[in-house]
Amino acid sequence: MPDPAASVYLGVLGYAWLWAMAMVSFYLFGTRVWRYAGVLRGARPEKRWDRLPERFRRFAAQVLGQQRLREEPLIGLAHLVIFWAFVVYAAGFFWNLVRGLLPFLPVPYADDVRWMALALAGAGFIGLAALAVAAVRRYAFPPPRLEQSPDAAVILALIGIVLVSWLTGWFARPRLPALAIAMWWLHMATVLGFLAYLPYSKHLHLLASPFGVFFSALQPGGMPAPSEGASRRQEFTWRQLFSGLACAECGRCDRACPAFQSGASLSPKMLMHQVKELVRAPSDGAFQPEGIWACTTCYACMSRCPVFNEHLPLVIELRRRLVSQGEIDARLQEALTNLGRYGNSFGQSPRNRAKWTQGLDFHIKDARKEPVEFLWFVGDYASYDPRLADATRAAARVFQAAGLDFGILYDGEQNAGNDVRRAGEEGLFEVLAEKNRKTLAKAKFSAIVTTDPHSYHVLKHEYPAVNGGFRVWHAAELLDTLLRDGKLSLQQTPPGTATYHDPCYLGRYNGVYAQPRRILGELGVGFQEMPRNREHAWCCGAGGGKIWMEDLPPASGPRERPAESRLREAASLAGVDTLVVACPKDLVMFQDAAKTTGLADRIAVKDLMEVTEQAIAPAREKTHA
Amino acid sequence: MNILVLLRMVPDVVEELEIAPGGKALDADLLRMMLSESDGHALEEALLLKERYGGVVTVLALDAPEVDDALFTALAKGADRAVKISDAGENPTTLEAAYTFAGWIAGQPDLAYADVILTGVQAIDDLDGLLAPLVAHQMRLPYLGIVTRLAVDVPGRVATAIKEYPGGVRGEFDVDLPAVFGIQAAEKPPRYVPVAKVRAAMKSRQIESVPAPTLAEAGPSLVNVVAMEKPQPAEWAAMLEGSPEQVSGKVCEILAGTGLL
Repeated sequence: MPDPAASVYLGVLGYAWLWAMAMVSFYLFGTRVWRYAGVLRGARPEKRWDRLPERFRRFAAQVLGQQRLREEPLIGLAHLVIFWAFVVYAAGFFWNLVRGLLPFLPVPYADDVRWMALALAGAGFIGLAALAVAAVRRYAFPPPRLEQSPDAAVILALIGIVLVSWLTGWFARPRLPALAIAMWWLHMATVLGFLAYLPYSKHLHLLASPFGVFFSALQPGGMPAPSEGASRRQEFTWRQLFSGLACAECGRCDRACPAFQSGASLSPKMLMHQVKELVRAPSDGAFQPEGIWACTTCYACMSRCPVFNEHLPLVIELRRRLVSQGEIDARLQEALTNLGRYGNSFGQSPRNRAKWTQGLDFHIKDARKEPVEFLWFVGDYASYDPRLADATRAAARVFQAAGLDFGILYDGEQNAGNDVRRAGEEGLFEVLAEKNRKTLAKAKFSAIVTTDPHSYHVLKHEYPAVNGGFRVWHAAELLDTLLRDGKLSLQQTPPGTATYHDPCYLGRYNGVYAQPRRILGELGVGFQEMPRNREHAWCCGAGGGKIWMEDLPPASGPRERPAESRLREAASLAGVDTLVVACPKDLVMFQDAAKTTGLADRIAVKDLMEVTEQAIAPAREKTHA
Repeated sequence: MNILVLLRMVPDVVEELEIAPGGKALDADLLRMMLSESDGHALEEALLLKERYGGVVTVLALDAPEVDDALFTALAKGADRAVKISDAGENPTTLEAAYTFAGWIAGQPDLAYADVILTGVQAIDDLDGLLAPLVAHQMRLPYLGIVTRLAVDVPGRVATAIKEYPGGVRGEFDVDLPAVFGIQAAEKPPRYVPVAKVRAAMKSRQIESVPAPTLAEAGPSLVNVVAMEKPQPAEWAAMLEGSPEQVSGKVCEILAGTGLL
């Protein structure tokens, strides 16, 4: 085959054609990318250059290895193949482009180098096979919430042409040089066209997502820095806006979102889309308050997103803005007002906080007055909700039976602020945290324990000044250790077969999956896993302040609430008669769902501590549970 | 338009109330004070009027524990000026409070013509709803209570007020301004103001602390507190003891015994 760049077409040299095409393509690509970069530069700063080794490791696993994509195995593998084929083809293209533009370079074209040509051929064939898988999935078996845009068809076609043109040219070389030349130009033109089209399409993710992964949040929960909230373009951080550019519209977030799946007007995918629109053109009012308030902050979207987009920080920024404008649900307003005045959402006197201890036949130390090893941060729901008093007392009896040296803060404890913060009331969170910090500073203890995953998360990760010197335990972690150390003598096996619900703030936020299961195993409880478990656990719908808000009817369709869906899932397991939880809010949510679904006779909802208390009770005694 | 809102701090009944030794008053040491709920509605109505017609909202309160929080919150919500009368005595009666408010307002050249004076129609320690009419009487101004909506013709100096009556009946009144209104409920529930804004107000805004006006010597009080006490379980009340199951069983027995069940 003659040198395509040295041949003459319509009286003009190939070099000139190539230069012209490349300049048009790079101009279109460059101006668009430059505009996006300008928008990001105009956004609020956010530091994402820390912990570089961790970032490189994540990049290797998630960009080069595409770990999360492969959670959906078939399309994940196809995508991985297409990605690597693309990398090989990009290398070949740039090689050929540079060689074509600068003919004086003493190197052959990529196609003329045997090993490179073989790599391109191999990548081309398996790339085409993967492309076929992707196309068949997209058009014959599309998963729900996959965005069916014409854009996707254009991209599939372009990749197809890129691969087929190169392969055809490669085969045509020996016998049909004219066809090979034509294919060479088709290939180059298609890739240049692709490059120009890229920043205008959803395939911008190809360019943006590697950066998105590298600069993704490393701290658990991804809480954005304190701010006055955001609704306009320049009020978001660059990383928050960047999520819009990296989104590939795959719909995994929507499939994982309990709010979306229960018919609320929140679609995390649409949220990303709105952010992308915001980056494209400054606009106001793109975000619907109903959707923003529907989020339960369960983290399922963020833990599933293959490009590590950050939905939650966006929701929290948007909520902060709504809170600062006073645009909040009446019940949430009441809860926040109560929290500000009384330190609890129930609007009860702080003096009643430890009223639940009245049913105990021993005294719990006041950690403010005498030193204790474990300071038990009880939390609002476990303290005040009368439906939870039994479970809270069960925890106290278990701690007592294990010989734990523990105490509580009595009326000195305030709501830890986890959900206040996620409802967007940053100032109130600071006030609550400050009060708790002062109280904790006066107490003598060596570790904190709590049965409440929400308090656990915020105390562990968002109380930096306090958490300098000691560990925060969830009761399940502590119980697991106590059992392993033989601190509890088990008297009987609790009857029945259980399944376990992973609370969002214990599981997805903090990765505590093994301990609760190990405890149930130690206790000898019959156990079955729900289909949606661990990272895929289905949120009960209470988090992020949702438990304080009005329960709105679904925006679309008569779908069931997250807690009902989850309870049915548990009840559908043959033989399972107990749903074990490790979060006070879960207990009230699922007990309520058991009543509304009419499944209360079929399945009981119990706290892990209640089950443990049953196991340590003397065998002859009939337990109240 | 000048809008003046009178704010009162009342005991927070979420906390348990105790009678002071002597048995004639609540134990002030154990009290937590909070803004009277209907005064919160009066403030909201004032802010809505300001949004609609423009003007200046001044909030006025007698000094009391936690009153600063209430005043800064009012500033954060949109009030323009907060004034605290500092030495009006501890636990003034409604009559004393009304005279102090009226006396202070009358002494202010820039507020003497306050076009609209709003306050809650009742407070938990003024269930008679006397404060607003007493202020109006003292200032020789018209008064209208149980108001749930106000519209103002600013140049015409007339307000149209909606007053609620039992049975779902509403009355519409024209009231010459200046006038005093007892607000039952604002048109919208009182707004939420985020803590950050209240804290910002605490840093950047001032509460004007002013001395109480000198009032004419009041004669001897004609109504005196003899005793204040919490309700005692009377003899005809039986306390049912036991677990919820046992108690509910006893309730059923009693109801069956009276023939109600």
